Amino acid sequence: MTGKDFYKIWAPIGAKWVDWVRPVPFVGINENLKIYEVENFTIPQINYIQKPTTETAIIIDLPENNSIKEGLGLAKLGFRPIPIYNGTDQQDGAMATVDNKSIKIGLIKGALEVQKMQIDKNAPPAFLLDSNRMNRYKMNQSVFDNSWDIYAQDLPSAEYFLKNGINKIIIRGESIQTDLQKILYSFQQKGISIYLTNGYENTQKVILKKPHYTAKEERDDI
Amino acid sequence: MKLVSIPKDKYEEYRLNLMFNAYKWDPQFFDNNTIAKHVLVITNKEHKELEKLTEQLDRETRQAEEMLNKNLKLAKPLALPHKINKELAKMKNYQPEKHIRLMRYDFHPTIENKWALSEVNSDVPGGFAEASIMPQFAINVLKSPQYWYKNFGDILVQAIAKKVKPKGTIMLVHCTSFSDDRQVMQFLGDKLKSLGFNIIYGAGDHLRFKNNKAISILDGNEGEVDAIFRFTPLEWLIEIKPKHWQGYFDTITPSCNHPIAIFAQTKRFPFVWNRLEKQGITFSTWKKLLPETIEVNEVKNKEGYIFKPACGRVGEKISIKEACKDDEYEKILADVKKHPKQYIAQKKFNSKPLITDEGQSFHLCLGSYSVEGKHAGYYARISKLPRIDSFSADIPVLIEGEENDR
Repeated sequence: MTGKDFYKIWAPIGAKWVDWVRPVPFVGINENLKIYEVENFTIPQINYIQKPTTETAIIIDLPENNSIKEGLGLAKLGFRPIPIYNGTDQQDGAMATVDNKSIKIGLIKGALEVQKMQIDKNAPPAFLLDSNRMNRYKMNQSVFDNSWDIYAQDLPSAEYFLKNGINKIIIRGESIQTDLQKILYSFQQKGISIYLTNGYENTQKVILKKPHYTAKEERDDI
Repeated sequence: MKLVSIPKDKYEEYRLNLMFNAYKWDPQFFDNNTIAKHVLVITNKEHKELEKLTEQLDRETRQAEEMLNKNLKLAKPLALPHKINKELAKMKNYQPEKHIRLMRYDFHPTIENKWALSEVNSDVPGGFAEASIMPQFAINVLKSPQYWYKNFGDILVQAIAKKVKPKGTIMLVHCTSFSDDRQVMQFLGDKLKSLGFNIIYGAGDHLRFKNNKAISILDGNEGEVDAIFRFTPLEWLIEIKPKHWQGYFDTITPSCNHPIAIFAQTKRFPFVWNRLEKQGITFSTWKKLLPETIEVNEVKNKEGYIFKPACGRVGEKISIKEACKDDEYEKILADVKKHPKQYIAQKKFNSKPLITDEGQSFHLCLGSYSVEGKHAGYYARISKLPRIDSFSADIPVLIEGEENDR
């Protein structure tokens, strides 16, 4: 199977929310990608939500391909997992800041699971992110920086969520990272409630403060 | 020119093919699909006209930038960022024949049935795969042998191959954290690789300069490079810390584009025309096509002007009221007031929308490339609003008629 074949499993034509599935990691799936069978790919039990409701979307922000595994757990409950990974491969031979390979392997293994499921075409979305995406630590300048941010344009707008009945977004992660904070703050201003869970405890409503922008960022944000 | 619909039953496969075979990795922007459901077909006559205008504009632009480089005092009205101004004197060793010059001129049809020019993407134009592979997929899906297109990618890599030693190493300098930059570089890298070049994907700070020659410091890819293809805008490059970027300005390593491109990149470029005309440079084509451009403080009570950032890209921060979202318009006006020298005021042209067979109306921006002074193909975008920005959709451009008519 090719990257395009795997993409079509994650983004079946006609299903809601799949227009936001990013092709970037799928494009990098080719015959040179080695898949290590020993890697644990257990789908976790979800405890913080019992079943999907039409007014709730989830953003899973866990390291590497753990968000894919959890997305599959949510798919079993009736959510549509939407991978929105946007990290690219490093130059051959170079040390990189982020390991995007495990995402590709997760998407391949996950596609095989998604294939077995019957997800409703109108299922609410569970967006999948790698919480390591903003790892920008470079021990020296020779390192290839393939870290990435999630931007507002990578997600549906607040208006689109609300128009489609979604007024609550749960973040599943250790915290709400700075790039997500900027997006979610504007969602909150437009009437969407934001919740956070670490996966073990119940979801807690959070009130986001206006993120800090430098003068330059403020101007760029116009 | 006309918009031809892609058959509905073929569109989804066409879109997938563009993602996976044509480097279109950003098919969605907010709630907008960025892959048009139409194809732009221009007549051979329109193509000939645009080809001629592009080459005339290009000649005027290159003469201007070379004159400015010889006499930097003339460049003062450009009000370039201080960090760039400080380095300009280094470009005295610029030899155009050593480098590869690439530009894209953005044309718009107007209600007067003329062309208006909104800008030249002089520094780092994009849209490469859209101008090279997308048209072939459009021909395939329309099953229309009566259309042809100019393959931009073929022309660009041939131009690079003429100036870089065979099997040489080329660094494709871009913002490595942005997949939408990488998709452009990956297209170019794959094409250059097929010609035998050694390709390094790197960031602006992965190059150092010794004796005016570029050297890669990227982990596992260290050593001299034979050419630089830069996709990081110059005004972003100069923000990189620590400062190692000065070498880009006086490197003898063949570059595409060399920083000389900044003179025409700023939308304040028309403010030096009077000075340059006194030196014998003409701007007759530019003047025919570019709407009247004045300083922000000259607008006063004049009507019909819009504001554009001097260093703006992809239609951002342009004050076309009906195209602005939420409080964007008010924010732009406030920014113009605060930083008038960083904007220009331009007479708003009346974009003529194209109407599809289904009755939909789209505004068009038709980008026309030049490589080494010759016309090199098209990159187009359409939008329901009269501002072409990141919300717009990419559309392939085909030319009506037999290819041998060209």
